[in-house]
Amino acid sequence: MTIILSICVAVVFAVSLYLMTGRELKSIAMGVFLLGHAANLSIIAMSRTPVRHEPQLLKGAPILTEGFDPANPMSSIVDPLPQALILTAIVIGFAVMAFLLSLLVLTSRKTGTLSIEELGVVATQDD
Amino acid sequence: MELENFIILFIVIPMGTGVIGVLLKQRVHIARVLGVLSFLATSALAIGLLVHLRSDPAGILVSQMGAWPAPFGISVVFDSLSGLLLAASSLVALACYVHSFSTVDPVAEKRYFHPMVQLLMFGVNLAFLTGDLFNLFVSFEIMLMASYCLLTFGGTRLQMTQAYKYVLLNLVGSTLFVIGAGLVYGMTGTLNFADLALFVSERQARGEALPPGFAALSIALLLVFGLKGAIFPLWFWLPDTYYTCNVSIAGLFAGMLTKVGIYAIARTFPMIFAHGHSDAAKVVMPLLAISAAFTMFLGVLGAVSHHNIRRILAVHVISQVGYMVFGLALMTRVALAGCLFYMIQHMVVKSCLFLCCGIVERHTGTDDLDKSGGLLKRDTYLAVVFFIAAMSLVGLPPLSGFFGKLVIIREGWRESMWWLSIFGLLTGALTLLSMLKIWSYCFWSPSGESIERTPANMPNTSSLRPAYIGATLLVCVALFLGFGAQPVYEIAYRAGEQLAAPEAYIQAVLGPEVIENLARARAESAALATAAVEVTP
Repeated sequence: MTIILSICVAVVFAVSLYLMTGRELKSIAMGVFLLGHAANLSIIAMSRTPVRHEPQLLKGAPILTEGFDPANPMSSIVDPLPQALILTAIVIGFAVMAFLLSLLVLTSRKTGTLSIEELGVVATQDD
Repeated sequence: MELENFIILFIVIPMGTGVIGVLLKQRVHIARVLGVLSFLATSALAIGLLVHLRSDPAGILVSQMGAWPAPFGISVVFDSLSGLLLAASSLVALACYVHSFSTVDPVAEKRYFHPMVQLLMFGVNLAFLTGDLFNLFVSFEIMLMASYCLLTFGGTRLQMTQAYKYVLLNLVGSTLFVIGAGLVYGMTGTLNFADLALFVSERQARGEALPPGFAALSIALLLVFGLKGAIFPLWFWLPDTYYTCNVSIAGLFAGMLTKVGIYAIARTFPMIFAHGHSDAAKVVMPLLAISAAFTMFLGVLGAVSHHNIRRILAVHVISQVGYMVFGLALMTRVALAGCLFYMIQHMVVKSCLFLCCGIVERHTGTDDLDKSGGLLKRDTYLAVVFFIAAMSLVGLPPLSGFFGKLVIIREGWRESMWWLSIFGLLTGALTLLSMLKIWSYCFWSPSGESIERTPANMPNTSSLRPAYIGATLLVCVALFLGFGAQPVYEIAYRAGEQLAAPEAYIQAVLGPEVIENLARARAESAALATAAVEVTP
């Protein structure tokens, strides 16, 4: 499972890096969004059953009682924390995506282009 | 009511004011009053708590959110390091905010300017207080989001096109941060700073190696924080960013944004990622030292080569960041104290210079040095304020920059990093040169020939009153840091001690009971792991 996930992470990373080398702001933005997904996937790949200290300290906590198999406690739970991290990262990613896309729309309205070369020329002109 | 409960106010006050500010979109005056009250409240609270902590033996206040025990819930920690930075940043924010009343475009002001400043400070305060790595990421994002908005406020073409550099770079940096946080969790099973520090120091005490790849992880995080802090190879986004936005906001950015990156290094590296003599430390320390030398020296050379006040000041931020990295690279407790003192004095002084630059721009209509002049006669008060701030930046003895540089450079000499100290001294001399350049062109030279004084372009001095108030406030703080360096340094030494020997921090955040539980749990899981290994073959 981890190997499949790590191959996925590598592919998504490669695609996003390819997109980010483009000369269009749209493709760069898409590359950045994909990079965020690659990061989330890599966190999933690192999540695992808790091995260190969670069960002892969180015994009886509601988060673990549901679906808890008393016969084999270690196999029935996964670490909830990486999933909480990913959830937070996704929400933040949404906000950033919304901001970046609206910035793209505003830029193309103001300057009429989203190509990096042309924007470099436009930047030196006055409003 | 216990003192710990006050800490959360640093986060709640700016957040609440920001939310109320969204509702007060059209009522600019009420929003202004509320904003000033919010910053006054946080700075008073920070100073009050710092004064209280001076007599407190532990010196660390911890609040566990929702009463979840430390390594699982979110800890909010107020120690000497975060306290000093909170006090300085709240004062700087107050001054820049007041200054912005006379520089902000009235149309732009109604586009949620006030909530954005508050949310920026919400992110900054959270970053200074938070006790775990992922929450640090969240606070970075809040702060960056607000800074993206403030950066593109005017909506001009130049701002639009320059913003991409900053926004995209920071997005990539944030993604790297998420991956880094995930890796930290995968390797150590915790994200809490205190628990991480415990993990590292326990392993070192037992002579065990850290997990494989820990050094690579340290470098990845150094890259992330270095990008935010604009250290040597990662500083190229900074000059353009500070050049295009409103001058009060540029002052606020110059005070806050880079310092938060440096703070993140100061918080995590001495305690965790480069603690003691681990492999990670052996890689990170030389990197920091080399980066410090280049950041200081190339930054100041860039500043000398520019011929435009705002660009000189912006490039100068980089050079000053180099001194802080110098302090971090030594990582002794005296050097860390020097680094902290330098950080707060630089926040105050650099923002003050930007605020002065805003007034100069209003007087002359330009920030080109060739076209301005004669300001000494026209506005003596401004000249005095600028001179004090500029000499503090250079580090002339009774002023604040001197004490910061003195401690860092002397400590560098003692730790046999003499070449870095020489770079520091050289940079100081070139700083003087670049500040004198502004001084002689802008203030000392006879009136600029190209400006014609007509009633139309005469500055409206009454509308500049808030700008003078802001600059005066900061110059007073700078003078206090110079003449009252003793009490500030006492707190800074304490912070350096807490960073270099993290036992007190670990004890305060986790508490003896949790530490005992963790030790037992670790022993059990180690026994389980060895049992599993024996079963598998």
